[in-house]
Amino acid sequence: MELFKKTLNPVAALAIIAVLDIFLFLVVGAWTVGGGETMMTGLIAKFFMGGAIDRIPFWNVAFPPDPYYWKIYISLGMVFGAFVGAVLSKEFCWRMPHRLTEWVMITIGGLLMGIGIRLAFVCNVSTFFGLTPEMNLGGYLAVSGILAGTWVGTWIYKKNLEG
Amino acid sequence: MTPLAECLTAFIFGTTVGLLVQRSRYCNVAALRDAMLFKTYRNTKAMLVAMMIMTLGFTAFITIGAGKPMYFDVGLNTFIGLFLFGLGMVLAGACTVSTWVKAGEGNIGAIWALLFTFIGMFLFSLFWSFDFWPPAPQTMTGTPNLAGLQFGFANAATLQSKTGIPAIVFGALQTLVLFGIYRAILKRERAEVPEPEAAAIESAACDAWAEAPVEPAVQGAMAARAESVQPA
Repeated sequence: MELFKKTLNPVAALAIIAVLDIFLFLVVGAWTVGGGETMMTGLIAKFFMGGAIDRIPFWNVAFPPDPYYWKIYISLGMVFGAFVGAVLSKEFCWRMPHRLTEWVMITIGGLLMGIGIRLAFVCNVSTFFGLTPEMNLGGYLAVSGILAGTWVGTWIYKKNLEG
Repeated sequence: MTPLAECLTAFIFGTTVGLLVQRSRYCNVAALRDAMLFKTYRNTKAMLVAMMIMTLGFTAFITIGAGKPMYFDVGLNTFIGLFLFGLGMVLAGACTVSTWVKAGEGNIGAIWALLFTFIGMFLFSLFWSFDFWPPAPQTMTGTPNLAGLQFGFANAATLQSKTGIPAIVFGALQTLVLFGIYRAILKRERAEVPEPEAAAIESAACDAWAEAPVEPAVQGAMAARAESVQPA
């Protein structure tokens, strides 16, 4: 199939995603990502901690672990779709960062992403593809925050690229 | 809709997104970072086009009262959290979407980043409590509460109910602004970036780490681009 032979134009891909997202918005709600990860974190924590998790107010009040939370399945779908796409186009292979600085940057970056999502209640997908198109005030605040953060991050990234 | 049907819809949507993002090598981080660092806009343009379509679609349905807009309170925590997120996603080289997509492609680094995103979320959950600013529910009432640094929520639906002007009008205005940015990018691209070089950078841009060695030509172009960025 042509789709698995050459790289798709991102404008076309994102236009299709945008139309699908409008459909999703009508049925369950706009595309978000952070919520699904949070629920997965809760489910994993519950698996390891059992009833002790109820002593943490966040999992008791704000996000009681629930395997039927629809946002989880967006994330699982994304990893599945990417796997199918990669296998069919013969792009699947195990790869790993080589340098120690890369591992350190990924670790810190991952932690900051997790903390940031929960502090703000939104991630970058809900910022650009959920809140801002709904003209939510939070979208504009979040866009300015993400631009400032990316600017600082880019500066660090550039230093690393040169070094 | 039953929870099972919701989950199934979400899974089908997610699968399509994963497939399209994998095949187009779209990356949200690259959309912002490459525009700032390399002055290339392949991903930025895609993001803007998607935002324009969604703005019109969402506000059109909000006008007639359909759809499920997000409701949650907005405060300084939104700005601070997304600042940390923006910093983190550039360091990790992938945002929430591309970590999943790269994980699907067999990238161990992405799986590692995801693991630490989970750990970050869990760590934050330990600090969350009723008495604690910022996520404490008592400051989140839906109306501005400046003492709690919460600004209340406002979206196209609130604008429509408060002003009586249909939400689609505001949506059209926002789409025009986004289109203005898109046009400015097109203009700049035509004036500045020679095509073959731009294409070479684009193909390497989203995979800062954990990729096959970058071709020397691309490396040269990337280094030249990095040098041309003015120190701040």
